[in-house]
Amino acid sequence: MSKTTVTRHLPDSITRAEIDGTLRSDRLWLHVGLFLSVLLMALPLLLAFVISLQSRGVITSVSQLSFDRAFENYRAVLIDYNMGRYMFNSFVMSIVIVVGKLAISLLAALAIVYYRFPFKNFMFMVILLTLMLPVPVRIVPLFELVAGLGWANTFLALTIPYLASATTVFLLRQHFLSIPVSLVEQAKLDGIGPIKFLVYVLIPMSKGMIAGVCVIMFIYAWNQYLWPLIIIDSQEMQVSQVGIRLLQGVVETGDIAWPIVMAGSIVTLIPPLLVLVLFRRPLLETFGVQQK
Amino acid sequence: MTTITLENVTKRFEDVTAVESIDLEVEDGEFLVVVGPSGCGKSTTLRMLAGLESVSEGRIYIGGRDVTGLDPKDRNVSMVFQNYALYPHMTAERNMTFGMKSAGSFSDDEIERRVSEAAETLGIGDLLARKPAELSGGERQRVALGRALVRDPEVFLMDEPLSNLDAKLRVQMRAELAKLHGELETTTVYVTHDQTEAMTLGDRVVVMNDGEIQQVDTAQYLYDYPNNQFVAGFIGEPAMNMVGVEVEGTDGETVVSHPGFRIRLPETDELRRFDAGRAVLGVRPEDLSIVETDGDGADTFVATVTVTEPLGDSLLLYCEVEGDELQVQSAPRSAIEPGDPVTLTVDRDRLHLFDRETRAAVYHSDGTRARTPEVTATAETDD
Repeated sequence: MSKTTVTRHLPDSITRAEIDGTLRSDRLWLHVGLFLSVLLMALPLLLAFVISLQSRGVITSVSQLSFDRAFENYRAVLIDYNMGRYMFNSFVMSIVIVVGKLAISLLAALAIVYYRFPFKNFMFMVILLTLMLPVPVRIVPLFELVAGLGWANTFLALTIPYLASATTVFLLRQHFLSIPVSLVEQAKLDGIGPIKFLVYVLIPMSKGMIAGVCVIMFIYAWNQYLWPLIIIDSQEMQVSQVGIRLLQGVVETGDIAWPIVMAGSIVTLIPPLLVLVLFRRPLLETFGVQQK
Repeated sequence: MTTITLENVTKRFEDVTAVESIDLEVEDGEFLVVVGPSGCGKSTTLRMLAGLESVSEGRIYIGGRDVTGLDPKDRNVSMVFQNYALYPHMTAERNMTFGMKSAGSFSDDEIERRVSEAAETLGIGDLLARKPAELSGGERQRVALGRALVRDPEVFLMDEPLSNLDAKLRVQMRAELAKLHGELETTTVYVTHDQTEAMTLGDRVVVMNDGEIQQVDTAQYLYDYPNNQFVAGFIGEPAMNMVGVEVEGTDGETVVSHPGFRIRLPETDELRRFDAGRAVLGVRPEDLSIVETDGDGADTFVATVTVTEPLGDSLLLYCEVEGDELQVQSAPRSAIEPGDPVTLTVDRDRLHLFDRETRAAVYHSDGTRARTPEVTATAETDD
């Protein structure tokens, strides 16, 4: 009896070890591959970070690396070159856009999902069609309109044109549709009005979704470049993406001060990065499979 | 005093008529069950009562008050949904109080008192702090009932509330619902597709099909004296056997004749009035029985067993007789096997005849008058 068990087990354990062995070497190559591709993707950022710590933009050998001016570069970019102000502007602009967009989109989605009104589907299609007309496409008429209103160089110009969002309306609509109809009917029986239903039922039930959408909206708003470049010409009102471009005007010893530009790029990168890290879970949920 | 009256209520969805001019009276404190196959209009009727669907034609009165055009919140009704409709992000207690707090007509003390009362009645006192995801199906059902209870409505409306529960729990909750109604005596309209639920729960049962009421009666009466073929086939499990026959009157004796059998019918006024001709004979599986001897041959006939279904408490036989199939409920633990011939007889007091064209009942053999329903059965002939 025992003999048979031994003979039966022995080859098993050998094959197990063999399998483990092949798995391990497979894994090794997998990890090497993954590491290389991550390195490749991160290289520009790493370079930018390293350069932002240097005193000169052009480095020809590793021996030239020095980190004496690391702190000084960042101080200069934030204070002397106004990057702090630009970032503050960007931040205010992004927050206003996120809050405003969310408020309008929530109401629009509420109307589209729970109200009966004429040409409802047509209206929804019209909202979706605005996806084909992003700000860059309508930038000339938009400029005329906003300049005509006297909003140039104000926060109004930076935020109002961004408030309508077909993407957000669409995502919220899809989410609301996944909420069982009987909840709405229960609310009707209880005499709960639409706004109360939105605040106490829909928003709490869509928390994850809304957080995810906010992350997308924040990063989108933060990364705006073309429109602020055109409508804002006062340094006080400028945003950080344009600020990076302005940094390229800083000339040291006849050359663009790359360490300063890179330091500006790195600090501009930090807020969206923080938002992404903090809200990565709801963001994944937003794009993942919706659970009913 | 809360009665419900539906007068000529019709509901049309564009070109589809879901409910066709229904007249119905629900008495004060009655437990009325509406039963029918899916798509028969029973849920639509309930939703019209709740105010969740508008009424195309006709009027609805609750407690004598015309509520036809009123918003759901103004009708003083509570509804329990099939999927419970609990708010997933709120605790059981908040689920129960949310609507009341919104209504604003209850003081906080009143709300608290009612919630603890309802929780005690339903045995969910220790579940109040939990969210729906942390509750089992039966517990969720209780919370949903509790939410309906706390508002102390004039009418309870229940839309298949037990359908999402497993079979055992369903039976248990069914008994609890009956007990609860006994205590509260609130007028209740209960919709289900399950005829067992309908029969066990309802003071009266409304059978619906194709948007029309087929019959309204107590469960036993529905079972014993169905108005038409639809009710006869829908109520009762296993379903009533329906066989096309010729009715022949030969001096003082009426006989139904089928290629496989001849059965004498007890004489009634109706039978005398019924012109001899083609009809449908209805006989329930338990009213057919196996006889050991051929006897005198009168009212007995031979059939061949095709399938046997042991049900534990009985043995269901599928028998074939001259091209027609009959289901026979017989004693369990018998040695009958498919292919065996059996001699069958019928309980002559429990026979029904239906008109071939209108499908309406024309004769019940124990002498009870077949009610000629105003709403005649649909003229489909799929027998």
